[in-house]
Amino acid sequence: MAYQAPRPRKPQKAPRRPKLPADSAKKAKQIIQRRTIYLLLLFGVVTFLAVFAKAYDLTMNQGDELKARASQQQTRSTTITASRGTIYDRNGTILAISAMADTVFLDPKVIQEYAAELDVKRAEALAKGVKSGETLPMTGQEYKDLIASKLAQLLGLQERDVYEKMERTQSRYEVLATKADKDTVGDKVRQFISKDGVEAGNTTGKAIQGVHLQSDAKRYYPYGSLAAHVIGFLGPEDHGAYGLEAIYEKDLSGKTGLAVTAKDATGSELMFQYGQVYDAEDGKNLQLTIDTNIQSYLEQGLADMIEQFHAANGAQGIVMDPRNGAILAIASNPTYDVNHPREIYDSALQQLVGTPKEGGAEGETVTLEEMQLKQWRSKAVNDTYEPGSTYKVLTLAMGLEEGKVNLNSTFYCSGGLDVDDWYIKCNNIYGHKNQSLKEAVGHSCNPAFMNIAFSVGARRYYDYLDAFGLFDATGVDLQGEGTSIFAPYKTFSQTRTDLASYSFGQKFNITPIQLITAQAACINGGYLYQPHVVEKKLDSDGNVVEQFDATPIRQVISEETSATVREILEYVVEKGGGKNGQVAGYRVGGKTGTADKGNTGDVIVSFLSFAPADDPQVIMLLTLDTPSRSTGTYVSGGNMVGPTASAIMSDILPYLGISPQYSDDTKAAADLTVPYVVGETKDGAAAKLNEYGFTSYRTVGGGDTVTDQTPVGGAIIPAGAEIILYMGEEKPSGLCTVPNVVGMSAADANSAMSNAGLIMKSTGATGTKGIKAISQSTPEGTQVPAGTVVTVQMGQTATTSD
Amino acid sequence: MAAERRRPMTKQEYRQMKKAKEKLRRQMEREAWEAARGPMDMPFFLLAMILLTIGMIMLLSASFPSAQASKDANYNPLYYFQRQAMWAGLGLFAMFWVSKINYHRFEGMAKLGIYISVILLVLVILPGPKENGKLLGISHNGATRWLGIPGMGTMQFQPSEVAKVGLIVFFAQSISKKREKMKTLREGFLYHVVILILMCLLTVIEPHFSGAILIFGIGAAMMVVGGIHWGWIAAGITGVLGAGYLVLFTDLMQKIGYNAARITVWRDPFGGDLEFQRRYAWQTIQSLITIGSGGLLGVGLGKSRQKFMFLPEEHNDFIFAVVVEELGLVGAALIMILFALLIIRGFWLAINARDRFGSLLVVGVTVQIALQAFLNMAVVTNLIPNTGISLPFFSYGGTALAIQLAEVGMVLSVSRQIPAPKAK
Repeated sequence: MAYQAPRPRKPQKAPRRPKLPADSAKKAKQIIQRRTIYLLLLFGVVTFLAVFAKAYDLTMNQGDELKARASQQQTRSTTITASRGTIYDRNGTILAISAMADTVFLDPKVIQEYAAELDVKRAEALAKGVKSGETLPMTGQEYKDLIASKLAQLLGLQERDVYEKMERTQSRYEVLATKADKDTVGDKVRQFISKDGVEAGNTTGKAIQGVHLQSDAKRYYPYGSLAAHVIGFLGPEDHGAYGLEAIYEKDLSGKTGLAVTAKDATGSELMFQYGQVYDAEDGKNLQLTIDTNIQSYLEQGLADMIEQFHAANGAQGIVMDPRNGAILAIASNPTYDVNHPREIYDSALQQLVGTPKEGGAEGETVTLEEMQLKQWRSKAVNDTYEPGSTYKVLTLAMGLEEGKVNLNSTFYCSGGLDVDDWYIKCNNIYGHKNQSLKEAVGHSCNPAFMNIAFSVGARRYYDYLDAFGLFDATGVDLQGEGTSIFAPYKTFSQTRTDLASYSFGQKFNITPIQLITAQAACINGGYLYQPHVVEKKLDSDGNVVEQFDATPIRQVISEETSATVREILEYVVEKGGGKNGQVAGYRVGGKTGTADKGNTGDVIVSFLSFAPADDPQVIMLLTLDTPSRSTGTYVSGGNMVGPTASAIMSDILPYLGISPQYSDDTKAAADLTVPYVVGETKDGAAAKLNEYGFTSYRTVGGGDTVTDQTPVGGAIIPAGAEIILYMGEEKPSGLCTVPNVVGMSAADANSAMSNAGLIMKSTGATGTKGIKAISQSTPEGTQVPAGTVVTVQMGQTATTSD
Repeated sequence: MAAERRRPMTKQEYRQMKKAKEKLRRQMEREAWEAARGPMDMPFFLLAMILLTIGMIMLLSASFPSAQASKDANYNPLYYFQRQAMWAGLGLFAMFWVSKINYHRFEGMAKLGIYISVILLVLVILPGPKENGKLLGISHNGATRWLGIPGMGTMQFQPSEVAKVGLIVFFAQSISKKREKMKTLREGFLYHVVILILMCLLTVIEPHFSGAILIFGIGAAMMVVGGIHWGWIAAGITGVLGAGYLVLFTDLMQKIGYNAARITVWRDPFGGDLEFQRRYAWQTIQSLITIGSGGLLGVGLGKSRQKFMFLPEEHNDFIFAVVVEELGLVGAALIMILFALLIIRGFWLAINARDRFGSLLVVGVTVQIALQAFLNMAVVTNLIPNTGISLPFFSYGGTALAIQLAEVGMVLSVSRQIPAPKAK
């Protein structure tokens, strides 16, 4: 690096010149000018850039957050509760409805502060001196006392409890009452806390601070436990938790509205119209296919059946319109009260809570939650079971459809059948011997059905299972449909034992709803419909928003096959194992069932029935889970469920407007109106009675004219009942004692009743062979007025299972 | 200096001398008058008028909700606007009047002015038998900053506003006389600093901390421009920055037992519990919310929602927040640009003024406007801790506005004597 001479620091100095005042002035001015430029840069540019940067950050970067804070303090938003939709049954009867309610809560912190403020004001007023005519402000304690006493009175609480909550002065939210009825309670509290609530007891002359109300809705279920599993219930925050309330939550709940109004810092509404209202959209109403009356017949029938046969695991029943899959009634027992879903409704279940758990670990007890889950389960939809003989309807339909059997087919039953390495027994171990197809179904003969299944073949049989929809959920609009369990085709086709067991409804699990859906297809002309419980969605004005009609899935069997199935099943009830399912005046088809629950030794007994047999309008499947073996009744579907099926059907069919048609055999059971014959001669009376359809009468006394009659004119009694005509003799006015007729034949029972002065109405099975009274509506020994009608259920008590 | 004794003048000589002096005086006066007859600076004047107009409109918008709700304002929504307009009229009159005066006349009044200023500052804090413990001072919110105007009913003014003018004129006169001596310690630095600190102390006692900051800022800026030694400038800047750092970024204030809530709020306006927020951070929080609500384009003129009693002092110290809310960042930027242009033009006038006194006068007034505008906007945006400083031409306050306009008149007066640029 080459050496460089250092540069002179100041290259040149200005030539010296004497200092003049003008120079000094000039220099001073230069300094001012130069330094002013610095100020110009600082104050004209730098400072504004700094402020602009900060303003940019606030408006552009933090704008959203600050705007949110602004709208939070500037606006008052009030939610407008949407009214939850009503659930109606098919006739418009209300099953679930919402009414306005209020939550009342305290803001203890505010109350405390306000009370302190009152004390201060009072002290100030005292210090100033009280002029006449002026009143002292109340003390803080008096203010609290007022709130406690008034709210306790209005809400039906203890004052002590209100105080206790009020003393939590750090809290801002202490609930005093939830779901208080708006009209009777909420509005009164509202009045009390308002500024002008003097009449309601607000003596402060100002709005009460620290007491608030929150409007919401309360759900009422007028029928309590009726159709509980269908309706479901609401969970916290009034969201549907179960059942239709949950499935149709979106439709039922509607949309919550919002009213946003601008306010100033003092809380007053602004003079400008910043307000914006988002209207609440009321929930849609649901109209169900469920019929409240049919539902109640069904539930009553199930309850009676469980009680009579001490069924350990309850029962279920489904009533469906086979023409479109509409469910008219669906019930499961044990059940619960929809208004109090968390309380155990069934007393037996209630007693179980806290007891040692069966099969549980040491010290483990049954919990409330387990019992809640148990009562919330719908056995009709959630649970699967091995259906047993009622399922044979499907095997029958397959055989007929495939042309493998017809009404002329005959079967021989030796009491069992060898299938591969197994000997599968029939219910009659001595064998049904030679039998026609009808007889075989009537006997519920297992070897016959195994043979039908074998003739159909594993491949076709398996395809039919699929076609009947048994592999899939039915798609019913109910919650938690259970999943059926079948062997995969590979396993199924390897041996003949699966096919053999399947033929009579064992070794696979399906839900009752799946079974009845498939059975409906067997008798309705072959069409598989998707079952449904909601018929329509309606808006709040009642206009139909959505209509759920019949949803056919496929045709599984032909109309002809279906007609044959109906004919055979009618035979089963008329002459075969299902006699207990008869309903006087109606053609009923059906099938009994007794199914093993695996290898537990317990059974599920069931009964399928439909009517009218030639043109089915209603199909019903009842199951009774684990009936006791010690009731004296042989455990079978025909014995235990058949009579109940008959009783329910005899209520449903007239209710649906299906008129009875009495044959000679059954016309005695037809209900007729007794004519008024007092004052007539004996012959005249007899003629009149005959004209009205009564053939049986007897006279008491020797007079010429009828002076009295039992039953009185206008009473409705069975045609076969005996009318007593009093010819001058006094009609006994005392009470009659009901005799026991259970176990008697129809004729014996009738005469026993009339001897006792009572009229017997016989229901259920007719005919003579093996048909006996199996129950009576009024227990033996009861004292009743003469001429009272006692209903006696007739039936047979077979000693083979079905 | 040769003290040679002269012979006494003859009568004629004396007359001649008198005549010559008279002639010179007349000539000087004519020159001065002619100089003062030049055109006033239109850019500065127009910028001031535009800002005043916008300021009046924004005051009307910002003040009417609180006026309507205020008993003091007789629930008249136009109350504040009307009073401000009256003062603005008065101020404009003063502005034109002052702009016609040859500003060299103020030179002679400088001493008188600073005496009056100090006397007023003392008067306002003099203890006395009044309810607030003062003789004459009028208190608002615990601060005694006002004096009544005799014969004008309830009208009040702040002596500190007068003091600013007094200080500007006095410093301009004193510094322009000192010339190079400004570099000296005694005459240049101490002389001015003592006066400045005296006035600041009198203001702080009121208490009026923000007023003291302004007075100090104006005085310091004039001293800097006037030519004090760089060492003092460096020392001053270091001192101010150091003190600022200690106060703002350390917990020194808490340690010495001073309630440093303003600093805490400045650091995190939304921190602290609700109680703390309501007590100390309310103005800042509301100001930030107001500004944030504006966004890029604002909610529209007159449509502020924050002015409905949420934002305190919305027509006063925090009017700029309403400006941002209603006109948005864009509107606020435009107003900032107008202010910046006014200030730049002011300094340009100072640079080109005819003499040092004129330059310093304009620097003083311009620095006052610039400092107030900056500090006000910085407070409103929470760039600096909250302290009450009004925004020139915008904030409500009649006498202050009138004085500001009169000061603008002084600048215009100086601008009239700027020699016209020579034609090329």
